[in-house]
Amino acid sequence: MSTAMTKDQILAATLDELTNVAPDLADETIPPDADLREVFDLDSMDFLNWFTALHRRLGVDIPELDYPKLRSMDDVATYLAARLGGL
Amino acid sequence: MRQAIAAAMAHAKREIPHYYLSQDVDLTPASDWLAQRNAELPPERRLLMGVLFIKAVALTLKGFPELNGFDREGRFEPSAAIHVGCATAIRGGGLVAPAIHDTDHLDLDTLMAKLRDLVARVRSGGLRASELADPTITVSSLGERGVDRLYGIIYPPQVAIVGFGTPRPAPWVLEDRVVPRQVVTVTLAADHRHSDGHRGALFLAQVAQRLHEPENL
Repeated sequence: MSTAMTKDQILAATLDELTNVAPDLADETIPPDADLREVFDLDSMDFLNWFTALHRRLGVDIPELDYPKLRSMDDVATYLAARLGGL
Repeated sequence: MRQAIAAAMAHAKREIPHYYLSQDVDLTPASDWLAQRNAELPPERRLLMGVLFIKAVALTLKGFPELNGFDREGRFEPSAAIHVGCATAIRGGGLVAPAIHDTDHLDLDTLMAKLRDLVARVRSGGLRASELADPTITVSSLGERGVDRLYGIIYPPQVAIVGFGTPRPAPWVLEDRVVPRQVVTVTLAADHRHSDGHRGALFLAQVAQRLHEPENL
């Protein structure tokens, strides 16, 4: 892990990995605060694949207990920033 | 896509005498088991509840050959192999139910890997024609979409479809007391030309029993 990823870099990485696991969303404009389940129809498999990819990329393992509070890209980026900052 | 679904479903509703059964299942043992298992594993090795549903159905089908196979102009052709078709929604509309081959022989990790792969290829458009053509039964699970139960329409020439609603906390009677439990409603729609409600009810009861013992799936 490079020492200091900015919040914007983390957000860009979350979007990048999201469109990798859900290529059918690649042409969509996804507002960072959009509820991905409600607005973009992400299901439990998409979320799991997304968190798996982020674990590989950033080294942060998101426990299943935290899934319910991670509903938007902003939620995930903020969560990852806090976890990376605490390393 | 819409036209293909329309043709198959109109045919099914017109020609197949469906009967429908529904059973609530205490999912607490499976939920607890899964949460505990996943808590110890990195994301790439975690399982989804849907995998337990598919495996429970596949194992139970071994004792119910009349639900696993094909209708050939009114005559039943059983299938020795169990290929569960996994209904998967396509964002923006439509769905497909590609098969996971020999579902009953796969351990949960392998089944999960195959399901991941199938969903990825549904998303990116890389399914093989054989996967769409050869399921011997369909399982439809509405995951976290918020409905309690779904009554499926059989996909011809199959003769049964099993539906799982969204698992939910619900009041449950356990040893004469009402307690909150995690509950899922399982439904069966089957072709009355080839099976009857009595056998269908036994089938659902055995699926429930298997979900009570997740460590044996």
